[in-house]
Amino acid sequence: MITKRQMGLSLAAGGLFATFAILAVDMLKAGNFAGIGPMQQIALTGAGILLLTGLTLIPLGNRPA
Amino acid sequence: MTEFRSRLSGNLPQVGWRHLAYLLVALALLVFVGYFIAYNIYAISLFQFPFDYDQGEGFELMDTVLFSRGEWPYLNNDSYPFYSSNYPPVFHLVIVPLIWIFGPKYWTGRLVAYLGTLITAAVIGYAVQRESKRWWLSTLAGLAFLASNYVYHVGPLFRQHMFMVMFETVAVVLLTATINAEETTGKKDNRRLLLVMILLLLAGYTKQLAYATVAAVFTFLFLRQSKRAILWAIAFAGVTGIIFLLINLSTNGQWLTNTVTANINPYIPSQGIGLLRQWFKLHTILILLASALALYQLYFERLSAYAIWFVFAAANGLTSGKWGAGESYFATAIAASCILAGIAIGRGLSWSERRGERWFAIALTVVAMLFLIQANKVFHWPTHTPLLEKVATTLGKPKETFVAPQTSCSLPREVVAIPYIDSAGVGLIGRPPNAEDTAAGVTISQLISEGDSASFGEDAGFNFYLGRDIITNPTQLLNLYNNGQVDLTEMSAMLENQEFDTVVLRAQFYPPPILEIIGRQYLTRHLVEMNGFVYCILTPKDLGE
Repeated sequence: MITKRQMGLSLAAGGLFATFAILAVDMLKAGNFAGIGPMQQIALTGAGILLLTGLTLIPLGNRPA
Repeated sequence: MTEFRSRLSGNLPQVGWRHLAYLLVALALLVFVGYFIAYNIYAISLFQFPFDYDQGEGFELMDTVLFSRGEWPYLNNDSYPFYSSNYPPVFHLVIVPLIWIFGPKYWTGRLVAYLGTLITAAVIGYAVQRESKRWWLSTLAGLAFLASNYVYHVGPLFRQHMFMVMFETVAVVLLTATINAEETTGKKDNRRLLLVMILLLLAGYTKQLAYATVAAVFTFLFLRQSKRAILWAIAFAGVTGIIFLLINLSTNGQWLTNTVTANINPYIPSQGIGLLRQWFKLHTILILLASALALYQLYFERLSAYAIWFVFAAANGLTSGKWGAGESYFATAIAASCILAGIAIGRGLSWSERRGERWFAIALTVVAMLFLIQANKVFHWPTHTPLLEKVATTLGKPKETFVAPQTSCSLPREVVAIPYIDSAGVGLIGRPPNAEDTAAGVTISQLISEGDSASFGEDAGFNFYLGRDIITNPTQLLNLYNNGQVDLTEMSAMLENQEFDTVVLRAQFYPPPILEIIGRQYLTRHLVEMNGFVYCILTPKDLGE
């Protein structure tokens, strides 16, 4: 059984990883950076939601998810 | 006497309010039953229409015909008849017995798809009833699904999407019931869980999009019983993979090419975001209630399978931005939201009942008003009879929509009035086809019959009507062409040599090189309007033309 804290940590980690991965796509294309396009904006929004949601779940501790 | 009168006068306003509230609930029920009637009018009209209403229906019929002959529809598109399916087989296999009995008829698949939506609605109602124990609420939840513009548009078409939604809905509801029972009794029920897995497998092999529901189910299971979820996930993935490999081997790799590679299409962000916004605008009440309950469960309770399913399905709705995708990609999220909204309302009513009669009356009134607001948001109504028109005008709605016939191969045409209103916007899907549309289809077929060959065309219906070969699946060809997976040499040569006596275009979905050859070797001779689309009938150019 997964707890709220564990779920929160997983979501936060997933959101953070996704954010870095999305931005890294542009960083790897250094020199050809054309801004954050609409698809990246959608993906970054999703990643941000995951991260924030995860952070707010962590304080809920060992309650079952 | 004074005490009696005092008690009565104290009770009367509360009894009156409750009655008024139930009257509003009855009104809401009436409205949603009205939508159900409209849905049946549309479905019955479609059952009687013998040609393609929506692009692609004829190819689903062709897939079913091939299965009925014991043949795979996953074929090499390089050679005549340049046809292949891009969808998994379950929906078509279910319809095969009807093809054996009645022959290649459009109504067979439309009927099965329609019945699938009724099953989905019934299962939604059952899910809500399990928790709320209020029959009127369960009925409204189920009817709210059928009342959605998106479900109405696509439900009775010969398309597999809604059949997938049926399997998904049954799977998630059964999963919920199974886990609830296990947690109550303390005994594992692997048989029922196996049934859930079979339903998920059927959903995935109806349409690939079911992966979102599969992910939701295993996420829920992982949260509740992590080890068990992993074991079942391994088994599920194994079985799915084995079936995939077996089909791929049997079709010499055409299964992978046509159902996976050909579905890799460009993503159009504005399309995805636009449909997301429209989905929210049309289903606001359901989405807000579902979201509220999901958030409540996230922070204050255990997450239900419904809540996880809703979030995954809503996120997956963004894939509607893929070229060739559309509003139906939100159908799963709509089903999930109907269940969650119904449960949320049931809980709210129970809470208010505990607080007293007045609170309950107020809550009931609010619930009825919310359903009426939701009903107004999804307003869609055919107006082709005086009675139907009267209903629309009485409700303050227009009696017709103005839209120009869609054409890609002729000059633009003037807008015309069509007897169908839809809050989802001006479009050509949703208006019940009529006798004029059937006559137009017969005219096109007669024009094709003046030649000897099957027509090279974007709708399969005319060749079916004439008993000729079904040639090409244009959107499939275009997808394969864009992914470098089709050799157009033979097709090009046949068109260059004018071996097809007729070409029938509607949306010009063919790969550009094919359209270029058609433009050089064929000439538009007739324009026929059917279902609000202009069909261009071309025959070979003579020398000097």
